[in-house]
Amino acid sequence: MRALIIILCVLLSSACFSRPISYVGGHTLMANSGSLTDNIYWHYTPNINYSVGLDYQRDKVSNEYFPSARFTYLINRKNTAKSQRNLYLKTGVGLNDSNNHFYSLAGDWETRRLFTSFSLKQSSGAGYDMFEQSVKVGVAPYLGDYGDLHTWLMVETKKNDLGNKRITYPVLRLFKGGALIEMSYHKKTDWDVHLMYRF
Amino acid sequence: MKNLLLLSLLISSTAIYAGHHEPHDMDSMHSHEGHIHNEMVNGKNIDVDAQRFDTFMIGIDNNAVAVVSVQGMVCDFCARGIEKTFGKDKRVSKIDVDLASGKVLLAFPVADDIDSADIRKKILNNGLNTTDIQIVGK
Repeated sequence: MRALIIILCVLLSSACFSRPISYVGGHTLMANSGSLTDNIYWHYTPNINYSVGLDYQRDKVSNEYFPSARFTYLINRKNTAKSQRNLYLKTGVGLNDSNNHFYSLAGDWETRRLFTSFSLKQSSGAGYDMFEQSVKVGVAPYLGDYGDLHTWLMVETKKNDLGNKRITYPVLRLFKGGALIEMSYHKKTDWDVHLMYRF
Repeated sequence: MKNLLLLSLLISSTAIYAGHHEPHDMDSMHSHEGHIHNEMVNGKNIDVDAQRFDTFMIGIDNNAVAVVSVQGMVCDFCARGIEKTFGKDKRVSKIDVDLASGKVLLAFPVADDIDSADIRKKILNNGLNTTDIQIVGK
């Protein structure tokens, strides 16, 4: 049971936030609240090719805490006049127990109107290994100017090799200035809310 | 007395004209009839939204403007760092980010040198690429 909870913690904490690397010298603070876990994640970008961060999770069921260190490396980025494409390598290791760790390959492609991303993630912990894949697509119903409220309507689908069931759910992303909120809903996991602030 | 009044009027009208004329060099940067589109810098047209440029120039008459063409600036979040980064540069008097055109306008006091290499480096530190920089008003 505990292993399952840890898995769910890891699974939920992997919620796909855009831009895991900020601008040089930039800090990003994220908070997530779901039905099973709450977590706070901070990362700092010392170089445009990578970011380092700390994640702190609380399991709502067992009331246990899982702090971890994270590292994200930008493998490749392609900028064009109308789009940006990124490929990232992400890793994380538990600070209480280094047996809890993950690594993932994630990518995104975005224009002002369209967004797509994918993630392949291998998580390991005491007594379990899990491989998860996810894809997210989105569309901006209107094109806001710099400083406006921006809205994205998205759909995300996930599947892992434990449950081997695909779940698909809608995601609403809103952001303005340095603040972002993302909400998703699935009948099994209920509401999931993510907040992000970049400074 | 009448001559004195006429002389005063002549001097003051000259001063008013001079005062009006002095910023006219800077006024030539303004679009007025949208001619910022036709203005040439280093043999290339400046492709900037005229109304946006005029709005940007309000309150910064004695400034030159770097028109920076940026690739990858597809979302507000990507561009947020540009404002943060250039906002820390005390030489930069005003910043405008236009997501639609992929242009960043940076105003510098006319007396200051504009370092294109530094602008490119700062844009790159935001994960974006600079394709062109045109300086208007120098």
